[in-house]
Amino acid sequence: MTETTATTAAKPILELDNVSYSYTKGGKKVLKNITHAFRTGEVHSITGPSGAGKTTMLSLISGLANPTEGKVLYNGKDLAKQDRYDYRSHDIGVIFQSFNLLPQLTVAENIMLSMDASGKKFDKPKKELAVGLLEQVHLPAEYANERILHLSGGEQQRVAIARALSYGPSVIVADEPTGNLDMGTQEDIMSIFRTLAHEQGVCVIIVTHSPEVAAASDEVFELAPLRRR
Amino acid sequence: MFVVKNAWRNVIRNKGRNILIAIIVAIIAAAATIGLAIRQAAVTARETGLENTTITAQISFDRSKAISELRESSSSSDSSSSSDSSNSSDSSSSSSSSSSSDSKPDFDAMREAMSDKQLTLADYQKYAKASSAVKSTYYTETASLAATDDFQPVEDSTSSSSSSSDSSSSSSSSDSSSSSSSSSDSSKSDANGGDGQQPGGQGGGDMGGGMGGMTMTTGDFSLVGFSSDEAVSNAENGTFTMSDGEVFGYDSDSDGDVIISKELADFNNLSVGDTITVENASDSDTTYKLTIVGIYENSTESSNQMGGPMRSTASDPANAIYTSVSTLKSLGLDADSTTETTDSSGNTTETAAAQLNYTYVFSSKDDYETFVSDVAKAGLSDDYTVSSADVEQYESSLVPLNNLAQFALTLLLIVLGVGAVVLVVITLCNVRERKYEVGVLTAIGVKKVKVAAQFTFELLVVTMIGLALGAAGGAVASVPVSNQLLAAQVAQQESQASSQNAQFGRDMQGPGAQGTSDSASSDSSNASSSADSSSSDSSSSSSTSGSSSNANASGTNNAGRPNGPGGMMGQAVSYVSNVNATVNLKIVGQLLAIGLGLTLVAALVAVVFVMRYEPLQILADRS
Repeated sequence: MTETTATTAAKPILELDNVSYSYTKGGKKVLKNITHAFRTGEVHSITGPSGAGKTTMLSLISGLANPTEGKVLYNGKDLAKQDRYDYRSHDIGVIFQSFNLLPQLTVAENIMLSMDASGKKFDKPKKELAVGLLEQVHLPAEYANERILHLSGGEQQRVAIARALSYGPSVIVADEPTGNLDMGTQEDIMSIFRTLAHEQGVCVIIVTHSPEVAAASDEVFELAPLRRR
Repeated sequence: MFVVKNAWRNVIRNKGRNILIAIIVAIIAAAATIGLAIRQAAVTARETGLENTTITAQISFDRSKAISELRESSSSSDSSSSSDSSNSSDSSSSSSSSSSSDSKPDFDAMREAMSDKQLTLADYQKYAKASSAVKSTYYTETASLAATDDFQPVEDSTSSSSSSSDSSSSSSSSDSSSSSSSSSDSSKSDANGGDGQQPGGQGGGDMGGGMGGMTMTTGDFSLVGFSSDEAVSNAENGTFTMSDGEVFGYDSDSDGDVIISKELADFNNLSVGDTITVENASDSDTTYKLTIVGIYENSTESSNQMGGPMRSTASDPANAIYTSVSTLKSLGLDADSTTETTDSSGNTTETAAAQLNYTYVFSSKDDYETFVSDVAKAGLSDDYTVSSADVEQYESSLVPLNNLAQFALTLLLIVLGVGAVVLVVITLCNVRERKYEVGVLTAIGVKKVKVAAQFTFELLVVTMIGLALGAAGGAVASVPVSNQLLAAQVAQQESQASSQNAQFGRDMQGPGAQGTSDSASSDSSNASSSADSSSSDSSSSSSTSGSSSNANASGTNNAGRPNGPGGMMGQAVSYVSNVNATVNLKIVGQLLAIGLGLTLVAALVAVVFVMRYEPLQILADRS
């Protein structure tokens, strides 16, 4: 926890400022008045029981949805006023619960698709970078030309992580990244996240209900169940 | 670039589906290509067909219309005496047949009504001046002459007169049994007869053949006066070549100069420089002396040959004596002069001595159309029609092509409609199927516009490939297919025409044959009033000799039977049976526009769907 104190001084890269969200206008609020700050170089966990709004919060952070009330600030700027497609393709890497890889593409193609979508320039051939990323998520290089559907769930999860990392975002958001994986894989993936946060200074935000994952994070934000009166 | 690259990759990846789309597009494109090619060919044929050809036109009095109107008005008073009608039919012989008829329309009234409508040479020239579009004009006047002892017409069948007199006698006997039908027929012929000094082309002009009606079929010779070389070269009996001597001049110095056919010259053992003596067809006391300055040979068959058994000597091309209008005038036989005829019962009728056939020449179809409107402005009443055999024949030759063009348009529209629907449906399925892909792409930050552009581009690549294949296939197929379709249209048109001819051929049987088919002949007065002009002309003319009246009857018979089809149609129409439906750049351009249009319509659907998709929703639905 010494690292935490060292980085608390760091400016938060992402802030939730009194955020509320409801899916329908004037409807039930899934999130209510959440205020939290996420800093770079840390692994953050968002926990809470089912229906507490974990995934919704992740959608807000990843710019897939705009808060009904309040603001999501990225580098101090309101996300609602930015081009959220640019934000998604450049600044934040999202690892979805269901991976959301394109099954008809190969592993390398999935990773390269994100690189292309970001529109960033890379100093090395993209294929080479993709193989390097596979190494980083502990996948052998020959997986590069494998179809996604030929991979196991854990392997797909690693590919999804590799894809999220491909364009070097400053925030990585993961929704239940270890949800359907065995303990060994879970630990391996958590170690990948920690390496990212601590060595590359990325802000890692993990939504989970697993206590092990929460315990492995630097900071835990617990969402209270909303329906509790 | 990302969009294009991604799209291209997707095209390669989804081979099966894209090949399917490409095939559908190719089929649409092929059909569209053929349709466009046919339409263009039709348009080109229409525009260029008469572009550089000279067109001749005539003004004619709308006889059939006037007659039917007059007949209606006079039908109530059909009790007019038969002596009146026999007066009106100026030939003594025809009185035998007409006198047997009980009920007849008031011929005198009709004749009077219509004789006023007759255009004179001055009228024609006035209209020629009324329009600047007229390139030139020419006219012919045809008068009939009778033979003298030392100058006889060429006749290849002496039995004709006896056989025809038989038929005429049988007709008169049969008339008693079917008086109504005969009266309708004779009324027609007499009505036409009153109008007999009309331009000869008029009867045919209604039917699309300006040369259709032979002018004078009685007498022994037709004396045809030409106004100019142009008139000569358009002679009704076809073009001819001079075998001896040269063509007469047109000024008054050359009055009395004629050229005769080689047959006639040989028949009478005449040569250039000889003089011939002929009688006035209606007045045997009047004789004319003519000098032969040339002998001609018909080089082309007359377009208005009345079929095989042409027994009327005057209408035989061999018996045509050509001269200048100036000669006719000097003889008092031009259209402005009249001859008095006294028939056997002592009645006197006055008819023009010659039939005037005035022709306007235009350098293009546009000029012709200008002229039509100009003469209408110049005061030509609705009772007259300006008709051009060239234009009409050309138009009718285009009927199959027009039908085909119409068919092609329908085909095109159907194909485009079906194609659009199919393409939209396929795209719709495609986009829905790839909804997840859209969700992932937008979730990783690809803008929706880019996704939509990608989808559009994919579709475009596939449709362009299909379009290219279809255009190639259509280009190969368009010429044989269009000719095949056109051949079918022509065949259909021809069978229609021939069935019409068969019908009219029976209906148009003359008085001679009437006894055998009474029921059919009753139709003829309505159906073929103008078509029968050859027979009507013959009865109208002021013939006094018995032989010519026989020829008259047989002529009618002839008109009814073997040359029914030919007479009906004026000339057999040779349909445009070949189109050059080749695919050129213009069609490829049109096709490309159509293809792009269809693609855009389909892509629009894709775009709408992509834009509606929210990534969060798609991905949430998925998980």
